[in-house]
Amino acid sequence: MQGRAGSTSAAADPVSQFLADLAEPGHLATLEGNSATVRFDVLDGKSVEPWHVSMASGDVTVTHDNHPADAVVRIERPYFEAIVTGRLNAQAAFLRGLFSCEGSMLALITFQRCLPGPPGSTGRTAPITSETVTAQRGRHE
Amino acid sequence: MSDGLVQILEGNTFVVSDDRGDIEASLTDPTGLFSFDTRFLSHWVLTVNGQRLNVLSTDDLQYFQTRFFLVPGSGTVYVDSKLSVIRQREVADGFREELRVLNHESEPVDLQIRIEAASDFADLFEVKDALSKTGHYQARVVGGHLVLEYRRETYVRETWISSTSPAGIDEKGLSFSITVPSHGEWTTSLDVVASSGSAEGSENGPTRIRDQRRVRRDMERGLEKWMQRAPAVECDWKPLEPIYRRCLTDLAALRFSTLTMPNQSLPAAGLPWFMTIFGRDSIFTSLQALPFVPELASTTLQVLAERQGTRIDDFRDEDPGRILHEMRYGELTAFEERPHSPYYGNADATPLYVVLLDEYERWTGDSKLVRKLEQAARAALSWIDEYADLQGNGYVSYQRRNDKTGLENQCWKDSWDSISYRNGDLPGFPRATCELQGYAYDAKMRGARLARQVWGDPAFADRLEKEAADLKRRFNRDFWVEDGEYFAVALESDGRQVDSLTSNNGHLLWSGIVDKSKARAVARHLLGPRLFSGWGVRTMAEGEARYNPIGYHVGTVWPFDNSFIAWGLRRYGFKEEAAGVVAGIMQAAEVFKGRLPEAFGGYPRSLTRYPVQYPTACSPQAWSTGAPLLLLRAGLGLEPHGDNLVVDPALPTWMGNLEILDLPGRWKRIDAFGRGRVDTDRMTMR
Repeated sequence: MQGRAGSTSAAADPVSQFLADLAEPGHLATLEGNSATVRFDVLDGKSVEPWHVSMASGDVTVTHDNHPADAVVRIERPYFEAIVTGRLNAQAAFLRGLFSCEGSMLALITFQRCLPGPPGSTGRTAPITSETVTAQRGRHE
Repeated sequence: MSDGLVQILEGNTFVVSDDRGDIEASLTDPTGLFSFDTRFLSHWVLTVNGQRLNVLSTDDLQYFQTRFFLVPGSGTVYVDSKLSVIRQREVADGFREELRVLNHESEPVDLQIRIEAASDFADLFEVKDALSKTGHYQARVVGGHLVLEYRRETYVRETWISSTSPAGIDEKGLSFSITVPSHGEWTTSLDVVASSGSAEGSENGPTRIRDQRRVRRDMERGLEKWMQRAPAVECDWKPLEPIYRRCLTDLAALRFSTLTMPNQSLPAAGLPWFMTIFGRDSIFTSLQALPFVPELASTTLQVLAERQGTRIDDFRDEDPGRILHEMRYGELTAFEERPHSPYYGNADATPLYVVLLDEYERWTGDSKLVRKLEQAARAALSWIDEYADLQGNGYVSYQRRNDKTGLENQCWKDSWDSISYRNGDLPGFPRATCELQGYAYDAKMRGARLARQVWGDPAFADRLEKEAADLKRRFNRDFWVEDGEYFAVALESDGRQVDSLTSNNGHLLWSGIVDKSKARAVARHLLGPRLFSGWGVRTMAEGEARYNPIGYHVGTVWPFDNSFIAWGLRRYGFKEEAAGVVAGIMQAAEVFKGRLPEAFGGYPRSLTRYPVQYPTACSPQAWSTGAPLLLLRAGLGLEPHGDNLVVDPALPTWMGNLEILDLPGRWKRIDAFGRGRVDTDRMTMR
């Protein structure tokens, strides 16, 4: 396999880092039941850096190949970096026209399942008492 | 919809106009051409020689097609026009309008025809909440098209308008200088296409969001086939057949295809404002329709799995395994001013997802899909224990983490005052409403069956059954209101019972979580004077402080709610009581000419004689449309048992003989018969 992700210096680059981490375990249960390929043509100034992600029933491989894919995404590097670090929601970005996607929407959505949530999200929130809710909303007459 | 408004739709594209076919929307006025939650036309006005037209009649040909018969004039009572104008409009990915002008004189006539067009590109949320926009508008003429454009940074939406007959096109519309021969006609076809545009600016034509040819083909063939494929219903009670036909037609109109599965459809929640994926509504409607159109369930299960939560996202109230609440495509969602990309804030769709998967397999035997969705179902089951137990007390509860645009009440009764104490006080958050525990119990029991029979994992099945048994034991101890003999609507975080009596008790019967020893008391309440109006079971019992017969979730009767209550009564063997619910709601359906509203007033039947409709924005509503289907199932006692379908009817006497022919399922096709033998009048005539 040529251009295996992670073989290049990935340390400072969130895109390389994310895709290397994605391919590292080799298998992701969350992707079982679906198979799809997505190629990201990452635009960086004048250069185009292709990333080919293959998801086959949960088995993930990432290469630098310019091979055809079910979905081909063209995206500026800063946006892709924001997406793979959870700072930008991929679905919202797509609706905003921040990237284009040719081919299978299902393939793109399958990939989106691997993306992290926003950095600040904790899954927690402070409880609210009955007294507070009733006071805010008005006691029943 | 308000009177005088005409709506047609296909998927999430719809047109709402006045009865002349004109659109004159304001930011808050819900008329226009909408697609993907965005208004693409807010102004569309036809004039002949500068005059507006008057309507003679409007024909709804199909749910996606309407014809307007018009005459020029100033609205005088007496119309004797020398001209007729016919507009025939059909929705696709925008709409196509055929305009015909007929000259009834023996002389040719010269006319100036004008179509004024404009768009505010409002997001549906902006129409609902009257918000103003921040982007820029432009109108331009591009090679025979009028292109209306809205642009905010890289977000571009366009409306492309063209005509088959030569037109003078300017930035505000299209003009035609025509001569119509004596007793002749002139015609043109106007094409309006919703486009997602492109940031660079497109000169070559619209970027169609969907493949238009496919949409057209589907619409022409779809409805007829759909009706033919469904089982046939015959009944001595004559109103039933038109009710059934109405349900099927409305379900067809509510079908919605996603970009990921363009050739299959799932039920959207309501027409026209909720033509999108709602986890809860799509699941409930798929359950109701399962005996009749099982393919809806298949699509629902697949589409919801595609978008199942995978990460912690507080803005979207997303957790791994959680099933989405609502998906939207408009500008506010695009700019993350609303969390609907998708939004996950509900606590019931996830356990209900497993319930639907199991029920689908029991009917259809489609174990292939159950295997394909194994991971999704396992993730949903994990969510119940790992993410929904917010209080660490073994109960599913909810509290929004997005406190600005998230939903406060994440159960089906989602209005702010729906969950309250007898005295009207509101409980705090997190809230563990009772029906959520029932759904969780049912999900574990059904997950266990699938694990044992399809996934080949008996250890997992054992674990789930053990957890379910434990949940049931605790629930019957902690939620049971001793002095009232019913289940509290919720449990406060300190363990206090939120002690009002509500219809949620019926969902508990449906889930199977109720101890047999307590079921009789619950059934008595459901058909008792405080909850049962004579038409149906009220959302909240008369006598509670917040009870209001026209309060959204605090006293009205919801047909969808009642259909699941009837199923629940059957589950515990209360056949006559179930027949009482079937009787009340079916008679209401007759009054509403087959199209049950989302909710109607909870007044005692003897007081109003007719069910009083609660004003709602959407009609038909998917789960109201599905209600008569589930009531037919409950009335006939249809229950899959292995490869057989058990029929155990308990129907109102006045219904006479009921036959459903060609019910699809594991058994290929089967007929079911029943004869009404239950005297339901003593229950409904109060």
